[in-house]
Amino acid sequence: MQTTQRIIARMLIVSLAWAGMPATAVHAALIPTDQVAAGRASPATSRDRVHAFLARADVRAEMERNGVDPQAADARVAALSDAEVDVLAGKLDSLPAGGDFGGIVGAAVFIFLVLLITDLLGLTKVFSFTRPIK
Amino acid sequence: MTLPAWSYTRGPRRLAAAGLLLLVLGGCATPQLQEIIDDRPAGLAPSASVAGVPFYPQEDYQCGPAALAMTLNAAGAALTVQELVPQVWLPGRKGSLQVEMVAAARSHGFLALELHPSLADLLRELSAGHPVIVLQNLGLDWYPVWHYSVAIGYDLDAGRIALRSGRAQLEDLPLTTFEHTWARSGRWAMLALRPGSLPATAVADEYLGAAVQLESGGQLQAARSAYTAGLERWPDALVALMGLGNIAYASGQLADAEAAFRRAAAAHPDSVAALNNLAQTLYDRGRVKEARSTARRAAGIGGRLQPAARHTLELIEAHTTRPVAAPNWR
Repeated sequence: MQTTQRIIARMLIVSLAWAGMPATAVHAALIPTDQVAAGRASPATSRDRVHAFLARADVRAEMERNGVDPQAADARVAALSDAEVDVLAGKLDSLPAGGDFGGIVGAAVFIFLVLLITDLLGLTKVFSFTRPIK
Repeated sequence: MTLPAWSYTRGPRRLAAAGLLLLVLGGCATPQLQEIIDDRPAGLAPSASVAGVPFYPQEDYQCGPAALAMTLNAAGAALTVQELVPQVWLPGRKGSLQVEMVAAARSHGFLALELHPSLADLLRELSAGHPVIVLQNLGLDWYPVWHYSVAIGYDLDAGRIALRSGRAQLEDLPLTTFEHTWARSGRWAMLALRPGSLPATAVADEYLGAAVQLESGGQLQAARSAYTAGLERWPDALVALMGLGNIAYASGQLADAEAAFRRAAAAHPDSVAALNNLAQTLYDRGRVKEARSTARRAAGIGGRLQPAARHTLELIEAHTTRPVAAPNWR
């Protein structure tokens, strides 16, 4: 009698547990829409590249020399959409790259600062010779 | 170092400079306008006028917020220029970045899309009744005077374009002059449409990309309308079907999600994402057997999404195989 009850109880536990599983246990297995577009570069790639650029010691030094908080730059990149990060990352591609830094890094960082820091944050006005929008 | 922060010039600068010289000398027809005059694209109306675009005269240098407010309100928003200023205005530069113009339109739930740098495309959108925000360089290539305005009409036979610009409610410019100033911005132009309206010049990938950005930004209703409109023109578009499915799933409408993912999987039998999301939805709806077989198909296709599909399959199998193990407990 007790054994039969125990068996029934166990079967009930098992079947109830199983019945409850599908609705609750498996989550977050959906692939989001932005991952669907075929042939499109993973947004993370561009974002990673921009963050990697911002993380470089020479870039950080240039930012600090211009009075820009590197963390504020990171935060602003995080706020941009993937496509907008792609624009910035595309800009990075056109900047001189390679082993010999010095003046080249200065120029690259300068352009990047204007794009990302000065303009987006409005913290500084690096381009004193540009004309304002009318 | 003359690179303007809010414009990435695409065309050769010298050509643009030469174009300006021509303008000064005699206003000869500009390259893209000449093409349109020589060979008018099929379906392009000889003239057009966009109705219902309000006018807000810009305050100091704030042409970006003003152009955006006029365009968004024409599409059904109720925004003031002052509300938009903190979203697109950069005090340090006295201007607005193009990316932020697009991002701001999107954040208000409108489908924001940059046009191709083509005068014919610009005119086609006007012909379809869509106001277009354009970026002009009213100065010289090496002495830029950047300016956003809103194109609201044209007349090819008269060679004129109508703009809401600065403090002018109606600026009626020769198309040649306009093209010179526009070419110097790399022919940058953007649409901001009420979701559900299709751009006349839309390319599937770009249009759907804009819709995905709405979804990613949490504008689910707007994204749903944009995907639905996209499917009318591209009935099998994978991104649109997946987007509709994902939005339905996120809203707890699993039957709608299943229908969308099924349609996606039927039209794209090799889509890992379609099968994966269908498997997950079937599982959630308690149709475990079909969920498992669908997840197996998804995991067997390969590609960059394979890890996600394998993960789904593992999760489903981990739970559905448990009853088989149950006899050991007795």
